[in-house]
Amino acid sequence: MELKDIKAIIDLMKKNSITEFELEQQDSKIRLKRGLNGGASTVQQDDSVSAIPVPMPAPLSAPAVQPAAPQSAATGEIEIKSPMIGTFYRAPSPESANYADVGTEVNAESVVAIIEAMKVMNEIKSEVKGVITQVLIENGKPVEFGQPLFKVRPS
Amino acid sequence: MFEKILVANRGEIAVRIIRACKELNVRTVAVYSEVDSNSMHVQLADEAICIGPAPASESYLRIDRIISAAEITDVDAIHPGYGFLSENAHFAEVCESCNIRFIGPSPRAMSSLEDKAVSRALAKKAGVDIPPGSDGVVENEKDAREIAKRIGYPVMIKAVAGGGGRGMRVAHNDPSLIKAYHTARTEAEKAFGNSGVYIEKFIENPHHIEIQILGDNKGRIIHLGERDCSIQRRNQKLIEEAPSPLLDNKFRKLRDKIGRAAVKIAEAARYTNAGTVEFIVDNNGNYYFLEVNKRIQVEHPVTEEVTGIDLVRYQILLAMGEPLQHSQGDIVIKGHAIECRINAEDPFDEFRPSPGRIEMYYQPGGRGVRVDTHAYAGYTIPPTYDSMISKLITTGKDRRDALDRMNRALSEYMVTGVKTTISFQQAIMQDPNFRRGVYSTSFVEQLLGGARRELIEEKT
Repeated sequence: MELKDIKAIIDLMKKNSITEFELEQQDSKIRLKRGLNGGASTVQQDDSVSAIPVPMPAPLSAPAVQPAAPQSAATGEIEIKSPMIGTFYRAPSPESANYADVGTEVNAESVVAIIEAMKVMNEIKSEVKGVITQVLIENGKPVEFGQPLFKVRPS
Repeated sequence: MFEKILVANRGEIAVRIIRACKELNVRTVAVYSEVDSNSMHVQLADEAICIGPAPASESYLRIDRIISAAEITDVDAIHPGYGFLSENAHFAEVCESCNIRFIGPSPRAMSSLEDKAVSRALAKKAGVDIPPGSDGVVENEKDAREIAKRIGYPVMIKAVAGGGGRGMRVAHNDPSLIKAYHTARTEAEKAFGNSGVYIEKFIENPHHIEIQILGDNKGRIIHLGERDCSIQRRNQKLIEEAPSPLLDNKFRKLRDKIGRAAVKIAEAARYTNAGTVEFIVDNNGNYYFLEVNKRIQVEHPVTEEVTGIDLVRYQILLAMGEPLQHSQGDIVIKGHAIECRINAEDPFDEFRPSPGRIEMYYQPGGRGVRVDTHAYAGYTIPPTYDSMISKLITTGKDRRDALDRMNRALSEYMVTGVKTTISFQQAIMQDPNFRRGVYSTSFVEQLLGGARRELIEEKT
């Protein structure tokens, strides 16, 4: 995959508000992740043909400091980010209803999910008052520190 | 066989560990703080998990987050590298209780060497000389004065939980002793969470000689020869070499003696995996045990180059329960290796750290040149961590050969965008005393204070 291809993909992503893009071909794999305010992006390229990692081209490298509460200028939404590492669960148990779905109204103290780490279930609070507009992680998937979990339109 | 290992570190050592894993066909998981998302170790690992914001206390030192990352990626073992949690016995215990192998000494070995005062007592019992000093933690001013009187000034006050050259103060008389005693305790509490200090005779212009050891879980210990790390600035090593020119030039018989003393101490501690036993040697060939570093060390490459043995790979195999593949007689030291640490610091401005974006980066190569680094063109060095960006190691058939090669390699090394200590290392390489192998730990201060400044300036 060449730099011009990567640049073309990034432009397409920006134009169509796509935040994450992954492409796997016969001999290479690329994953691009866009920050919402356009400032933070990460590139992961796994090219099995060449074993030498390519230094990040300048326009794609992430800034040293991530913004604390990224807010998309276009839509005014706030992200609820994971404060820990673990497995993401949308409900207190497999039989229960989800804590939060698209359209659920939340306030700062509302529990929106559980993240399980080392057999301990941790309740994740919204910390924002508003309405859930997007659920970003599938039930049962692992999450890392800072990973966006939900999008909320603040009220 | 481990299927997957999590590397609980960053920078060049994380790259080193990932390489050893790849060569063993073991999959790797990198953990990283938010400012390290573009770091080389993240790029090289098979998986990467963000574990927190920049400060180490909220990321690389967070046991809970590292264990969580290990759980969701289902690793078999964790390699802690050096610094950070590598000598944290509690972390090693948590790993074991979560069924994750800790690649390093056993918790028991760690606790029998848990701090410097305990280690001194163990060495003394094993019959190895230690610098005269207190028997344990010095509890109060009165005791401090008595000990200083008994062993004679000058003395050194050291934090029992200190490491990496930090937490040490020298006193030449009673008033300065009392002042230093209290300052050292406060500093130790702040830096290491443990205000305990002990007192040792300060040996002027010592030579720092350390022995690399390896131990398996059957109790077998071997040593892989010495490294001479006497070239230091403010107790931070700058240059290391193997074998030691001091031992070669003056005290050949000491090599075996010190090696055997190191093994004796390791056996007394029931040590396993890789470690380093530190000694100081004075100008008369007297050697004294200092401490045991219970981890792989920054300067491990020079031992690798002269013995032909991959130490990080050995760590992984030993952690898997494999026995030592070598007996003491199998270890042969061939040739000479030198390592220069390259820091992002300005040697012309009191070695002020120089973080920032590396614009152009060209590292030396060719026969007998090895570079262990995480740096690359376009990489932004964050200000949050230590300033070492690279280790340049040259090997030659003898010391002269390795020195000339290091000169050649340093002259090729090009880094722009940040300041580095490359020119300073060149000045040391060309110093006549260094070339003769005549130096002690006061070498750098003398160099900086002396007439060599114009030589350093010439290089930029």
